[in-house]
Amino acid sequence: MPAAGTGGLIRRAAWRLRLVLLFAALAALPYLLSYSQQEIAVLLVINVLLVSSYRLLTLTGEWSLGHVVIMGVGAYTSALLAKQAGVPVPLSMLLGGAMAAGTAALLSFPLFRMKGFYFLIGSFAAGEIIRLIWKRFTDPFGGPKGLKRIDPFPDIETGFLSIDFYEPVNYYFLALAVVSVSLFVLYRIERSRIGLTFHAIHWQDRLAESVGVDTFRYRTLAFVIASFFAGIAGGLYAHYVGAVNPTRFSVDQMVYVLVWAIVGGTATFHGPVLGVVVLTVINEIVLRALGLDTARPLIYGLILILAVLYLPNGLESLGPRLRALWQRRRGEPAAAGREPA
Amino acid sequence: MSRKSLERKISRRKFLGTTAASGAALTALGTGLSRVSFADGHTIKIGFLAPLTGPVAAWGKPGLDGCLIWADWVNAKGGVNIGGQSYNIEFVGYDNEYDAAKARTGATKLIKEDGVKFIMMLGGDTWPGVQKIAEREGMLFSTLLPSDLSPDSTTLLAPCEVHPIYNVTGVEWLAENKPDLKTAVMCAQDDSLGKPSVATYLAAFEAAGIEMQDEPLFFDPATTDFAPVMTKLLAGNPDILCLDTCYADYVHPLCEQAFQQGYKGQIISCTADFYQKIIEKTSAEFMEGFIFQFPDFDDPALNSEGVNFVNPNEFYAEYAKRYGASEWSAVSWEYASIMDLWADAASQAGSAEPAAVLEAMKADGTGKHAFGTADWWGTELFGIDNALVGNWPVVVIEGGKATIKDFRSIPAWWDKHKDLMIKHMTALGQMWNQRG
Repeated sequence: MPAAGTGGLIRRAAWRLRLVLLFAALAALPYLLSYSQQEIAVLLVINVLLVSSYRLLTLTGEWSLGHVVIMGVGAYTSALLAKQAGVPVPLSMLLGGAMAAGTAALLSFPLFRMKGFYFLIGSFAAGEIIRLIWKRFTDPFGGPKGLKRIDPFPDIETGFLSIDFYEPVNYYFLALAVVSVSLFVLYRIERSRIGLTFHAIHWQDRLAESVGVDTFRYRTLAFVIASFFAGIAGGLYAHYVGAVNPTRFSVDQMVYVLVWAIVGGTATFHGPVLGVVVLTVINEIVLRALGLDTARPLIYGLILILAVLYLPNGLESLGPRLRALWQRRRGEPAAAGREPA
Repeated sequence: MSRKSLERKISRRKFLGTTAASGAALTALGTGLSRVSFADGHTIKIGFLAPLTGPVAAWGKPGLDGCLIWADWVNAKGGVNIGGQSYNIEFVGYDNEYDAAKARTGATKLIKEDGVKFIMMLGGDTWPGVQKIAEREGMLFSTLLPSDLSPDSTTLLAPCEVHPIYNVTGVEWLAENKPDLKTAVMCAQDDSLGKPSVATYLAAFEAAGIEMQDEPLFFDPATTDFAPVMTKLLAGNPDILCLDTCYADYVHPLCEQAFQQGYKGQIISCTADFYQKIIEKTSAEFMEGFIFQFPDFDDPALNSEGVNFVNPNEFYAEYAKRYGASEWSAVSWEYASIMDLWADAASQAGSAEPAAVLEAMKADGTGKHAFGTADWWGTELFGIDNALVGNWPVVVIEGGKATIKDFRSIPAWWDKHKDLMIKHMTALGQMWNQRG
């Protein structure tokens, strides 16, 4: 059918154009920012990966309170391998991700015997056990003070090219590349049969089981994949900041991840990304620029309340709502099914 | 449009309007917070990189408030004379939320965008995020926590508070004045602030012949229910309850629990921030005799010869007038006293450049510490002589008011008992060469 085919081609071209424009904007972004804002951008990009990986886990219907600790597993592993075993940093980051995934695989045995609220509490307890291990064993984890002077990502020095990854603009591009590839993989997983199975487990786990889906295996798979990318985010963080400690991966930090996901919305791939970007920009750039350092928790809380009251489906629902409003104003029938569930 | 929906719309509009107005008011209020002292003409900017919000804010925000007063007073007198030119001082604050990554961002902002000449920090968990920047930029930093010191960081000073070493003075005074108290228990949050302090108290108790009834009890910083912690501590009916260097958010509930569980013995603690509020939650009788290390600056003992802090009683009165007496905390005066040192050194050096100020500060191996002339010291404990150590006050709550009982010499204690300190610091992995 030529008409549908042409429409599909146009949609695909438009989608690619949007992607090109997005990458162009992301490439230009650091040059529009101040030095300290570039630092914030680096951490923001890392948090985008953290919250996006978290969403993959939520696809199966389970919300964890241990995801930041899993990020910490990646951070500690990568830091220790680089610092004490001399493993090259890029490889140690990957191994950090692998260790995070392995830890998740182990934890899945007790955790996926629980569901819903019990899983939430169980994941919190598991995370606390890991954090206590970091605190208890000064050797090798550094105890409460954690690890510092972690090897940075190695500089690139060739005859014509010199890249110092201490500079936030350079690390931004490194993190952006790693996170882009990771998001692409996460996106492809969600759109694959595996991703559809995750959705099926979320909405109808008994039905899925009745047609032969091994829900334990798929839940474990989602947990392991999400943890791998959280571990990669941890590695990116550790080798940038140069220090990790158990407090950095506490439940307080996990609350931020939950808030980003909830305010952004988890129905679409871009929802949590929107959440972390908007809230970070407001909290770290706008409110600081206004000199509201000490009032930030108050205003942040106010924003959260407003978001929950007026955007219960998250920021991701704002676009479809505005589009529907625009169409109503123009007297057009609103497109059905655009609003995220 | 129905009347109901119209009303709803108007109500929302009103609501949004009110919100916007509140936001504008907050903006106007907040504009004064991060740049706290504006000045005309020649101005030197000083960075204040500490937690201003969150659970550790009690050791950041009151310090910034104290600096406000310091800057107003100094600027009113014409500023700091450096190389024959008077400079006003402007503080630029950055809330690091006690997070290493945010401290890194704050440090780069203060150095590269605000052009500060000196940065004061609380230190602790936040210092490792800043360490590399300090080394690369050659910026002069100060910390309140000398456990941050190491031979790698030559531009980091601990010029005011030699935490936790001064805690030995409180235990020494206690042992001399209440020799019948022979057993102690201790708790601390399990973090970088709690552990070195525990090692110090263990050394001080051992030196004083006070026996620990049990191993120190470390609780997680996320703890909110202190009833079981206190129950366990009081199980052996100890003579002394030591609260180590707990944050204000822990000292208050711990005292409440001790009160509710009927404890009547001696309490010793590094800090008792906002102690009036603890008295309100317990009783003046319960808090009578509570020993800690941070005086109210209206204490007449601070007017004695040898105390270098300028006009301490007036400083306290001004602080109480601006923020309320109950807002006075351990750090309210500390950052201001560091500024006294910095201003003296900059005047001597004739330059505000970090390297010149550092050299002038340490020129003769001594410095004018708030509580008297002190030595630059620390090689044996920190690997570098970048801590200013001298006398420290022992404070006791009497009749509901903090009262200085004595000034004791930290170096004198160290000379007699340094082996004990090194033993306990080593056992808890807190020596400079054992860290991370």
